[in-house]
Amino acid sequence: MAPLLEAISIGKTYPGGTVANDGVNLSVSAGEVHAVVGENGAGKSTLMKILFGIEQPDRGEIRLDGKVVSFANPREAIDNGIGMVFQHFSLVPSFSVYENVVLGSEPRNGIKFDRREAIEKVRALSEKFRLAVDPLPPVGQLPVGQQQRVEILKALYRDARILILDEPTAVLAPQEVEELFVAVRALVAQGRTVIFIAHKLPEVLEISDRITVMRGGKTVGSVNARDVTEDSLATMMVGREIALRVDRAKTRGDVACEVKALKLTAESGVTIAQDLNLKVHSGEILGLVGVEGNGQAELLEAIAGLRPVADGVIYLNGTSLGPKSVLERREQGLASIPEDRIARGLATGATIAENLIATRLADKRFVRNGLLDLKAMKANALSLIERFSIRSGGPGYAVGTLSGGNMQKVVVARELSEQPKLLLVNQPTRGVDLGATQFIWKSLTDARDGGAAVLLSSADLSELLALSDRLVVFYRGKIVAAFVNSDDLTAETLGTYMLGLSSQDPEAMRAALQ
Amino acid sequence: MIELLLTVFSATFFVTVVRTTTPLLFAALGGLISDLSGALNVALEGMMLIAALTAVIVSVYAPWYVAVLSGVAAGAMLGALMAFFHLRLKADIILVGFAVNILATGGTVFALSRATGGDKGTSINLPSKAVPGVDLSFLEAIPAVGPTLKSLLSGHSILSWLGVFMVFAVWYFLFRTPYGLWLRGVGEYPAAPEAAGIPVAKVRAWSLVASGALAGIGGAQLAMFNYIGFTRDMTAGRGFIALGAVLLGARHPVGAMLAALLFGIFEALAIVMPNLFNWIPGEMIQTIPFVVTVLALILFSYRAQRARQMRTLSKI
Repeated sequence: MAPLLEAISIGKTYPGGTVANDGVNLSVSAGEVHAVVGENGAGKSTLMKILFGIEQPDRGEIRLDGKVVSFANPREAIDNGIGMVFQHFSLVPSFSVYENVVLGSEPRNGIKFDRREAIEKVRALSEKFRLAVDPLPPVGQLPVGQQQRVEILKALYRDARILILDEPTAVLAPQEVEELFVAVRALVAQGRTVIFIAHKLPEVLEISDRITVMRGGKTVGSVNARDVTEDSLATMMVGREIALRVDRAKTRGDVACEVKALKLTAESGVTIAQDLNLKVHSGEILGLVGVEGNGQAELLEAIAGLRPVADGVIYLNGTSLGPKSVLERREQGLASIPEDRIARGLATGATIAENLIATRLADKRFVRNGLLDLKAMKANALSLIERFSIRSGGPGYAVGTLSGGNMQKVVVARELSEQPKLLLVNQPTRGVDLGATQFIWKSLTDARDGGAAVLLSSADLSELLALSDRLVVFYRGKIVAAFVNSDDLTAETLGTYMLGLSSQDPEAMRAALQ
Repeated sequence: MIELLLTVFSATFFVTVVRTTTPLLFAALGGLISDLSGALNVALEGMMLIAALTAVIVSVYAPWYVAVLSGVAAGAMLGALMAFFHLRLKADIILVGFAVNILATGGTVFALSRATGGDKGTSINLPSKAVPGVDLSFLEAIPAVGPTLKSLLSGHSILSWLGVFMVFAVWYFLFRTPYGLWLRGVGEYPAAPEAAGIPVAKVRAWSLVASGALAGIGGAQLAMFNYIGFTRDMTAGRGFIALGAVLLGARHPVGAMLAALLFGIFEALAIVMPNLFNWIPGEMIQTIPFVVTVLALILFSYRAQRARQMRTLSKI
């Protein structure tokens, strides 16, 4: 069967000289789910932007139904039956679901916007494709999963035959991912074609028929989903065998950080977490498990000094952190890799060299007589760029110009350039590609082996299971279970505690909390 | 005090309020449209001023309606100019707005002196025309309420009636037509209309043009009805008060109208009070509309903050 959509030796070089696509080939047949996988920076997004008319290719051609086409803008792609759902939704929050769906192609009655017809059309579409959404409420009030359905409905309302989903599962909870997959299957059953961009391999294998792998702006190859395994796919993506296993801590030292009867409240007075008791030894990684919003992030903030403590004490090496400022805590050997690298971890407009010393402005090596020592800063940056293999134009480039993985490496480099005593880590590899993930994991275990006590929170259970020596599970602001990590411990087991479905015997918990 | 109350509840005072409100109302509607499209138009003041002078000068040579239209065109052109600098040359909209205001302050004085042959203060020696009032004397024939109706409704500027109609027209446009939906979408979250193939920059450009045109009508009313003729800096902050009215009116046409009415009432008070309280310095009284604007905006943001707090509390 002739392919429905083909991209043939597409080349795209951005004005900055970045070669995003270099001879990319993609061939999608009608009625299949076609996954495009690759590390961040492999050129997936650029290829999709070209298919959707946001970017124009420098070389190569696109064929739709065998005919050569070129799209000057998204409108033309839409008119040719291509729809795209971006990772960041394009929805107006205060508009209702139906207004968002029809925006730009509204049914009209004279000069009047025909609301009744719009609502009916949206209802009909959502029934036909099993994308259950109430058309009336404002989109801003809906959960993320439903907002994504609105985005899909938007594309379908414009008669998209080919639907491009850009990392659709990145923002979804596991339950919502299942619902999305049901909808994707319904779409394919009705003759639509889905292009699915992702880098979570198990999901890719579950949903797709064919998989195209990209690496470094080139296509590595296309395979049938049933012919490959997660490992072989990962190898294709990174181009080398990667070990997604890390060594456990060999020894553990004394208690470095202890949290006693800690209570945290929000500004409005609502309790976020209470009765938190835990110890972290130097030389071990303690994983904080829990669905986001159950108090793990807030605990890390409280230890870092970014959030007031309502009750209880936090000790670092025997002294209370209570009255200490963030800077004093850092001087005591605390380091922190925050959840949001762009908002909290970095100043994106400042250079790499500046970001790398931002936490050390009292350090005589970089600041003398109140003036920055630019030479020392540059030397420091060069050595850290080398040591943490940060891919960049040089120390003088703004951090905002780096890819997500390299930005994260800048944060990691700054926090780990000196051996910390206590390391707080939240979502270290969110939105980071496999190669950088592996590197960051290695950096964390190196810090651990150097004697740091590490508190790690992550939404990715496999990351927690891979790195942690012990794990505690948070549910509604309380620690409900604790485990010593072993090969027998599975994500499913943790999941039942995370959702509050089972509870642990207090004795077992106390044993694992030591 | 009794005198003041008597004055406030008289028909003449109502007529004054309508008169003072009309320029504010047009400017506020203009500000509303550009604000909803995501481009805060701080140049309403300058647009009104330039439109006022344009209308006055044109009215010397042409009928009143041509003069009003020329004021509208002047405002619209300034809107287009702002759109060009902001959208094409990517200049900051606030800076562009202030540039227009500064251009207006200096430029009108210059143009005025050229047009009058040297007078840099007023256009008093230009035989400029006025916008006609709408004569509704026939209402008097209605038994009982007739005379009251006549004194309340007759004699308003034709533009005041247009203003009431524009409130409805702007509301209908914003909330009942597809283009209104586009405009509000562009203002709230431009990425969404962009992805839907709506030309975001074009929508904003047209909003600025419409904003300028509406401010232009306000300017024309000011110089061809409220006062006959142009005085330097005659807008006296009305453009900024109108911006306040947009916020105070919760970014809704009817709200903007009510807010403009509130500020109009205080401006009217500032007009009638000097006759009643000659012991209060006139300058003090003239500050009333501005003081009220500041107070109203403080009250508004305080209430908005409270509302936000209540919302977050109820969510938890």
